[in-house]
Amino acid sequence: MTDAEDRALLERIATRDRLAFETFFGAHGADVHRFVRDLVRDDGLAEELTSDVMVEVWRGAGRFAGRSRVRTWVFGIAHHKAIDALRRSHVRTIPLDDLADQPSTTAGPEAAALHAADRRQLEAALASLSAEHRAVLELTYVGGFSQKEIAEIVGCPVATVKTRAFYAKGRLRDALGKAELPR
Amino acid sequence: MKHDVAELLPFYVNGTLEAPDRARVEAELARCPECSAELDDLRVLAENLRARAQATPPPPQTLLARTFAQLAPEPTLATRLRTAWWSAPARYATAVVLVASVSAGAVAAWHLRESAGHDDRFGAPSSLVYVTRSSAPHAEAAVPAVAAKSGPRTIGAVNASVAQTHRLARTATLELVVRDAEASRTRAADATTALGGVVTALIDEGPPAAGDVHQVHATIEVPAARLDDALDRLAQLGTVQRREIDAEDVDASLVDQDARLRNLRREETALLQLMDKRGSVDEILTVEQKLSEVRGSIEELDAQHQHDLHRVATGTISLTLTEDHPRAAPPNPGPTARIDGAWQNGLRALGETVVAFVSILAWSVAFSPVLLGLAGLTYLAKRGMGRLRPTQG
Repeated sequence: MTDAEDRALLERIATRDRLAFETFFGAHGADVHRFVRDLVRDDGLAEELTSDVMVEVWRGAGRFAGRSRVRTWVFGIAHHKAIDALRRSHVRTIPLDDLADQPSTTAGPEAAALHAADRRQLEAALASLSAEHRAVLELTYVGGFSQKEIAEIVGCPVATVKTRAFYAKGRLRDALGKAELPR
Repeated sequence: MKHDVAELLPFYVNGTLEAPDRARVEAELARCPECSAELDDLRVLAENLRARAQATPPPPQTLLARTFAQLAPEPTLATRLRTAWWSAPARYATAVVLVASVSAGAVAAWHLRESAGHDDRFGAPSSLVYVTRSSAPHAEAAVPAVAAKSGPRTIGAVNASVAQTHRLARTATLELVVRDAEASRTRAADATTALGGVVTALIDEGPPAAGDVHQVHATIEVPAARLDDALDRLAQLGTVQRREIDAEDVDASLVDQDARLRNLRREETALLQLMDKRGSVDEILTVEQKLSEVRGSIEELDAQHQHDLHRVATGTISLTLTEDHPRAAPPNPGPTARIDGAWQNGLRALGETVVAFVSILAWSVAFSPVLLGLAGLTYLAKRGMGRLRPTQG
């Protein structure tokens, strides 16, 4: 769905058009659900949060300023809600390794591990990352957002996004390197 | 590998880098094998993450219904009617384009017909779609769009298809000058019945005062397909002063209502399923409340839907019949009529007197207890006075 289509839907949602809302839910619900699920790693909570995000879209459609893509705005709401939920459940969310503990950037056996990684290993490696690192990986490689957009979604400077994307990948590779390879 | 370029690589992979950054990355990639290896690494990572995303199960079907249940209650019918079809600018555009294209088509078809000199090849139009308002005194002034069958009359054919694919609610206004309003009214009612229609409203205040013109207003509903037929027949009752047909495209509105109804019914089903699950009293009450809201919305929307469908199925004609001459003053009565009048007046006066007399009698009877009481009191008072007088003397 293009941004123009999203905007048209939002306009209709602002007029309390339930059909438009259903269409919007159909277009973005699954992506939002996967994103928050990756962040909170809890199916029940992820569903609840997805619902909350969509209710926020319903309520805030009329206030959408249009400065960014609709998708960026929605993911911003989703990120905010997910991080809030994690804070409430006292889970560490802010990566401590943004600026320190630089992992090796050389391609070694870890890189090979990434190639060979099966889904289960990837899952385990992702689970070992902080929510913020998972968020940036998901937004970059699956969501296809730009640095600026991710900065807007997660509410931090562009420079932090770049650093975070860089170290998230390093962390993931390290985690995969430590994981047992399937033989 | 330069650190700043390494930081840009993820966004080079997802294709969101702006030109200057992209150029920097590509320049670095060209000269640094380590960077190329890192790029390959990131591409594999991206592929893995995307594959994982695709394999992630979607949220359950019930999530939409649960979300709907959290939304504010459905707006009132009035709000929905206001926003249903006229709210979105796109729909204004659709309406304008539709009206413009139909009008242009009609004019083109009319010119085509004119230029062909009413050639017999065109034959008699099988159906006419009146698309412009006619304020001229004759029905012929309404521009007909010829519903064409083939060949050079494609524009007409387009119009015909517009009329067929878009459900239109058509209303007509017909103003006639007639010799006898009452007789024409009866004939109009007969013609309506003959066409399978019905007179839904009638205002006829009867013969007016001297010098006024007798006018009858009627609202007639006929099957939509016979609207033109009905207008032709009614037009024969007198001289046409005004003949107008308005067509409102209710197609978008109907489609919208259809979709909303489907959606609401799905919501209803989902809520019923939720009801089946065991929950706390609070949860059950909440679901019940939502369910009753949804059902209320369904009823309102359904009523509107049926109404719009009825408007599409029925053509409404607002008919005004005006007599062509003012009602003459009644003639001067002759001596016989005057004597007759006097006799009638006398009888009426006598009747009124008798009625007044009987009324007074009935009134007296009704108040007799009060009157008797007063008489008794007066009598007692007099007796008392009579006893007092000798003592004083």
